[in-house]
Amino acid sequence: MSVITLKDVSKIYGKGDAQVKALKDINFTAQKGEVVLIVGPSGAGKSTFLTIAGAIQRPTSGTVEIDGQDISNLKSKDANKLRLNKIGFVLQAYNLVPYLTVMQQFKLVDKVKKDNLTKAELSDLLKKLGINKLVKKYPKELSGGQKQRVAIARALYAKPEILLADEPTASLDSERVEEVGKMFQDLARQQDKAILLVTHDMRLEKYADHIYEMLDGKLTKKR
Amino acid sequence: MFLALKEIKYEKLRYGLITFMIFLIAFLIYMLSSLAVGLASENTQAVESWKTQSVVLNKNSNINLAQSVLTSDQVKKSDLGSKEAFVGETPVVVKHKGNSTVSAQFIGLDKDQYIYKNLELTQGKKVIRSHEVVVDKSFANKGYKVGDKISLNGEKTKYKIAGFVNNAKINIAPIVYGELSTWKKIRPLAPNAVASGIISQNSNFKLKSDDVKTYKVKAFIKKLPGYTAQNLTFALMIGFLFVISLIIIAVFLYILTMQKMPNYSVLRAQGIPTKTLVGATISQSLILTFVGSVLALIVMLIMVQVMPSAVPIEFAPWIMASGLIGMIITGVIGGLIPIRSIMKVDPVKAIG
Repeated sequence: MSVITLKDVSKIYGKGDAQVKALKDINFTAQKGEVVLIVGPSGAGKSTFLTIAGAIQRPTSGTVEIDGQDISNLKSKDANKLRLNKIGFVLQAYNLVPYLTVMQQFKLVDKVKKDNLTKAELSDLLKKLGINKLVKKYPKELSGGQKQRVAIARALYAKPEILLADEPTASLDSERVEEVGKMFQDLARQQDKAILLVTHDMRLEKYADHIYEMLDGKLTKKR
Repeated sequence: MFLALKEIKYEKLRYGLITFMIFLIAFLIYMLSSLAVGLASENTQAVESWKTQSVVLNKNSNINLAQSVLTSDQVKKSDLGSKEAFVGETPVVVKHKGNSTVSAQFIGLDKDQYIYKNLELTQGKKVIRSHEVVVDKSFANKGYKVGDKISLNGEKTKYKIAGFVNNAKINIAPIVYGELSTWKKIRPLAPNAVASGIISQNSNFKLKSDDVKTYKVKAFIKKLPGYTAQNLTFALMIGFLFVISLIIIAVFLYILTMQKMPNYSVLRAQGIPTKTLVGATISQSLILTFVGSVLALIVMLIMVQVMPSAVPIEFAPWIMASGLIGMIITGVIGGLIPIRSIMKVDPVKAIG
């Protein structure tokens, strides 16, 4: 079932001579239960694509649908709600609050949203990611790879239908990439989630159901 | 509250310094307020202890009791009841061998009238005979004792201290209560002078004479020398301190908020509602001002206990409560300043 649909989506930044067309007539769908890889060089428009697919910003033209709902012109408050309830983000900035311990990062989600992972489910997830012994640590006490895994756990804790990740394996070693790749694949298959990974990391290729390439604002399906 | 508390716990030094600044300002506000109340009280203690509602003075006295003189002609048609009393005021210098010289105000009273009858003695006896006086209890702090024979204005006549009395200060000077006849001796006036004025517990008391006027107690207090200027100065200083604390809280929180913008972008991208972030900022300012102000209050309470009695400081609970509430309101207003920036946080910035 199609959970993200982009129809003729374009995004233009700036005006007049300073105008930049970041996305050009993008047509894209992602199904539940699939892992989709978006690859491409820096500045190609991958991040812009992610923000529009994730209801963080609106397209200049075209329509974006999440679960069949047109979100192209959603109000900021409603878009916020949609992100909180349906979309999990794993960002390059690791999306961790510096003054909260690993466990408190999850408690913050509990403060604003019900129906998150149970204690047992969270414990399993943390074990799977190899960070179960880091729950009392602050982000500054973690390595880059550990932060990235906490960020993944934080995004999955709210049980999102869609997971959007920006370079989720950038700081991980090959062994950990295999584990995280497998975990994304299992999550998609077993929990019927749509997982969209924007990455340079071709080590994830074997876990992807589809691969798209973004080049100069244009999206081309590779697989 | 969750985010606010966790951040304060994590950034102890940073928030400790802000709390310390708030503590200092709150302490200064409490100190100045207590001094203002203490000084105001020392100006008006006696007038309040007499439960004054109105004061009858000579029209030409510029509403100044010590400058006013009522003559027998002016008061002959008066009908003083149980709520009125003649008062004769004049400044005196009190001397006694072995004790420090004290600048005081002599208040002459009629023993049959209510002020004399209601004097609250802390020590000694109330009876004022000729050559006897009762004095403010602050004389006792300066080494004066019951039975000491004092001289007034360096004259040879000695007056025995019969007792000490509570709340006996006017215009910051301690009072020496004596007989009206003594007042006439100390302050040589026309032979028909009766008193400086009439103190009444009745706000509508009037004297049938063209040369005298009845003033409401508020107008009388307002015209006490230096009283209004002193209170305005304190009010101005306290007001400025509130403004300064508002600016400090607002500036600190604004800078801290600006530093947290990347975090807020990420949180917004994750769908954390704006009200959670706004709530965290307001909670933080509330916690900081509350903790800083309460600590200042505790230190203030200790200071009042150890302060020398010469310092005219008075711990008035209602003033402290007003200061505390004022600081908390200031904190909330200060916390509102960065809210506009939080509302405008762009979640797009969270992604490269």
